Amino acid sequence: MIASYLNSIKNGTARYLDELATKDGQISEKWQHLAHYYDCAGPQKLKQSHDEVSRQLRENGVTYNIYGDPEGMNRPWQLDPIPMVFGSEDWEYIERGLQQRANLLNHILKDVYGGRTLIKEGLIPFELVYNHQGFLRQVDKLMLEGDLQLIQYSTDLARGPNGQMWVLHDRTDAPSGAGYTLENRAAMTRVFPELIRENEVRKITSYYQTLRNTLINLSSRSLENPRIVLLSPGPMNDTYFEHAYLSSIMGFTLSMGQDLTVSDGQVWLKTIKGLEKVDVIIRRVDDVYCDPLEFLGESHLGVVGLMEAIRQKNVLVINPLGVRMLENPGLMAFLPKICQKVFGEDLILNSVATWWCGQEREKNYVLDNLDYLIIRGIYSDQNAVFGGNLSSQEKDELIRKIKANPYLFVGQETVDFSTTPSWIDNQMVARNAVFRSYLVANSENHGYSVMPGGLSRSSPQQGVFMVSNQTGGISKDTWVLGKQVETPQPPPVKVSRQQAKVQQQILPSRTGEHLFWLGRYMERSAYTIRLMRMTLMAYNEADTDIHVTEDKVLSTLLKSLSHLTGTLPGFTKKQVLRKPESELLSLTTDVTRMGSLANSIQSFLSNGYAVRDRLGLDTWRILDSVSEELNGMKRPGITLTEVYHALDQMVIKMMAFYGLNIDNMTRESSWHLLNMGRFIESSANTCTALKALITKKFGLATDKELWETTLRCNESLVTYRYHYRSNLELTGVLTLLLSTEANPRSLLYQIKKIDDHFKQMAIQEFGETKELSPIRKKLLEAYTKTKLSDIETLCVLNEKSQSYTQLITFLDEIVALIQDTSTIVSEDFFNHTSSRYSMIQTNLLPEI
Amino acid sequence: MKYQVTHVTDYIYQSPSSLCHNIMVQTPKNLPFQTVEQHEQVIDPEPEYLNRSQDFFENQTVHFSIERTHSKLTATSKSTVVLSAPAWMTADPGQTQPWEQVRDWLHTTKALNDTRQFYLQSKHVEFADGVQEYTLQSFTPGRPIMEAMLELNSRINSDFTFTPGFTDLSTPVSEVFANRKGVCQDYAHFSLACVRSIGLAARYVSGYLETIPPPGKPKMVGADASHAWISLYIPDLDDWVEFDATNNLLVSDQHIRVAVGRDFADVTPLKGIIYSAGKHTMEVSVDVRRS
Repeated sequence: MIASYLNSIKNGTARYLDELATKDGQISEKWQHLAHYYDCAGPQKLKQSHDEVSRQLRENGVTYNIYGDPEGMNRPWQLDPIPMVFGSEDWEYIERGLQQRANLLNHILKDVYGGRTLIKEGLIPFELVYNHQGFLRQVDKLMLEGDLQLIQYSTDLARGPNGQMWVLHDRTDAPSGAGYTLENRAAMTRVFPELIRENEVRKITSYYQTLRNTLINLSSRSLENPRIVLLSPGPMNDTYFEHAYLSSIMGFTLSMGQDLTVSDGQVWLKTIKGLEKVDVIIRRVDDVYCDPLEFLGESHLGVVGLMEAIRQKNVLVINPLGVRMLENPGLMAFLPKICQKVFGEDLILNSVATWWCGQEREKNYVLDNLDYLIIRGIYSDQNAVFGGNLSSQEKDELIRKIKANPYLFVGQETVDFSTTPSWIDNQMVARNAVFRSYLVANSENHGYSVMPGGLSRSSPQQGVFMVSNQTGGISKDTWVLGKQVETPQPPPVKVSRQQAKVQQQILPSRTGEHLFWLGRYMERSAYTIRLMRMTLMAYNEADTDIHVTEDKVLSTLLKSLSHLTGTLPGFTKKQVLRKPESELLSLTTDVTRMGSLANSIQSFLSNGYAVRDRLGLDTWRILDSVSEELNGMKRPGITLTEVYHALDQMVIKMMAFYGLNIDNMTRESSWHLLNMGRFIESSANTCTALKALITKKFGLATDKELWETTLRCNESLVTYRYHYRSNLELTGVLTLLLSTEANPRSLLYQIKKIDDHFKQMAIQEFGETKELSPIRKKLLEAYTKTKLSDIETLCVLNEKSQSYTQLITFLDEIVALIQDTSTIVSEDFFNHTSSRYSMIQTNLLPEI
Repeated sequence: MKYQVTHVTDYIYQSPSSLCHNIMVQTPKNLPFQTVEQHEQVIDPEPEYLNRSQDFFENQTVHFSIERTHSKLTATSKSTVVLSAPAWMTADPGQTQPWEQVRDWLHTTKALNDTRQFYLQSKHVEFADGVQEYTLQSFTPGRPIMEAMLELNSRINSDFTFTPGFTDLSTPVSEVFANRKGVCQDYAHFSLACVRSIGLAARYVSGYLETIPPPGKPKMVGADASHAWISLYIPDLDDWVEFDATNNLLVSDQHIRVAVGRDFADVTPLKGIIYSAGKHTMEVSVDVRRS
């Protein structure tokens, strides 16, 4: 395998350096051991390993989202089983280079928001900073305590033709990928435990400890129990997985802008208990989206008033706002000089050659060499273009833009960066790779700690240089080989015990609301599936000679589906009932239809994804597999028979989801809310289904069939047979489903459960109270009504209408009480999640 | 000259709000030729949070929030300001330095960053096509900067028609230039685009004009509301010299200065974010009297 790899390099891609091969085509020292392993293993074994790695990641639910692609949500994360490898000498130089660069950028940051002497002395051109949208005038002179202002820092590096590592980008605003890196390493460790041990691959966990340590130290100077939240743009963000993942492993509270509010100049987290003060925000929301009052008015990702809270030093935001100015690629051209001037040292890591067009000579160079350069705006790298790829018309347009505002553009050299062995389509091939490093300020030694590893990505095609996940790059674990000479391990987090204590009981209102609805939609989906299966079974077994409208059992089942899903009139209309097929398909598979099964499952999933940090890691993969199953159901042209089989699978997965949560979730408020949702839904469903299925009298044979169906739907047929060992009787059915508290499918049991969970949550959040809350009053009423109901009376037939009218009244009353309960829960615990707001400002005044 | 200024802003909400956050920039500046004798702000309902600070451009800002249910918000700023004629009123425009000299000096590190920042484009001041050519008709080679500016000011005043309602905050300079119509903010933003497009540093100034004119003098445009004009940096005079294109004036002692910035966005008199589902409206009244 290795020999053919070396051969392919010699023949095909000789213009690039290769990480495995030396210049004369031998295996480099750092790759010796690995190369030997791959040779012994062979392609078959490596393919197996690749599958195993993919399985690990899938099972851990590692996903990312692609913007602008409706199918792009929750894509499985791709990991190459072959790592990117650095030898220890190589790494030592990279590490020193990164530390120097971090210190340098930190110095620039402090200066730009401080005395601005670098600009006064001409080391940084004035226009480069003052024209950059990342230079936020609102944060001028606002500093964190201590020397280090740049807390998290990442770079994208690649090895150039001279063997040196080049910096392609500095990432300072809200660098992402550290969570994926940890997942990559976890998967690799499972699949290649010996390889990692034998190669002495350095551990990366210290990075995360240092980050936590630094955050706590920065905040705990005046505080004993700092509350740290991770501010995420939300489930639509490309790296939302990582926000949830990092929150759960680091013990931060995952939140979105709408979970936070500012009052009295302080930041508060809206929890089901009320407002809780926030001390530190680690943000994944871009700088100017953080506060619509002072930055982008249209942003709904941020927190209104956050800037004022920062100004008053009532909250720490990491990375601090304003840091994005360091991402300006134009700065790269000036770093060597600044480094000399400030530290009296040469810059260790070169940046990719950059010409800032704000200078006459550089501008002319860029315009003359447009075909060979990458042209970027100084503010965002989204619009980078390779000059050579432009049509002459596009080129003219670009030249016009550069000439009009030269200081907004840079030209950058395209680096032929090195290739590294990559596993693509079951072959080991050479692909260009980019490595993202992670640094964090270390508050213990006042320097920067570099993660010995990071996130590498290779392009799936040959010779592609702009590698990112958005464009289909494949990730690689990064191995730094050989023992570290000295290992200054960060001390364990001192206040971790207190931190754990504080985190325990915080439940943001929005999270609570999602959990409540997760429980409701889980139960709604499961109940709908059961009724749907009974209906489909009856439909398939129905006598083809008899019209659906005359088949009382089938038509009652169909109508009950319309009632249960709230999609009336549906089957209550004769013409729909006569040809039920298309309505049945729509009720199961049309996601866009409110109340349909697919819609309920979709709602179950979106509520689930929104609270994934609260669910055990194992639970995530069930969400993913439900999502897969749902995608199968949505496929056009699916038949009812196929739907039937899919429902079988789906109900098992739903139950597995619930089962795992029983095992995994700690019994705190999140668990109670999930269950309140679940039992509120199931008690209401029980009543609705009973009303639709058995409150009418048809004839004994039909009635018995419907009673049996009802028992099946409520998973109580076996219990019935066990309890009564007799023929089906309506009184028996009702006794079992309404008032037999020992039966977990009975109404009485379910109402009791809502009350139990509510009681426990209330004690946890608010402590014991003597007074009965409005919710418990409603529940007590429903419970008592059910308990005291006389089954014989409920079974008295109204001869005129041939229906059990007292039973109908009873069921209606219970449903109303349950609905009231649900409404009060929403008002009492979730009402402060309301976060609609709009901007008002002095406009141009017409009279002047 | 002593003036009493009353600036009242009302927000009226369709549905009540329980939280709003605001930034107010309505505190007049103390300058060599402008003394603020008295200044008070009354906000009704009384804010739960109020804090004064200074922004990047050294304007006084007030951050306040109202954290209980309310349907109406009234912010009143009252100031007593004494004005005298600025030193530039006695300067001889024909004796000021050539404008190119100023431009060249600004583009070196000898000029302060705080000054240089005002020759860049900004949110509401873009270099639209043709603006530079328009400017260069007055800024002919070697011409004294103040003389050229006075001519530009006068040309804008006669070329443009004061037209309320034609523009709003989102109307770009290019459109104002194409139609030669607008209100005082547009005159100011266009003036800024002109002088910045040839590399000079100029600031947006927000403030007030006196409401009732002295006997025998006509009432000026821009009274009864907040007003806007510009100031151009002239190193020879060591000052930011103010020009009001809306009234074709070299600004003297009838304009009360509140704040300066790159453009309107930096000095919005009052802006807020209101947590409420309904719509809201804003009403502003300004009263300026001699006392």
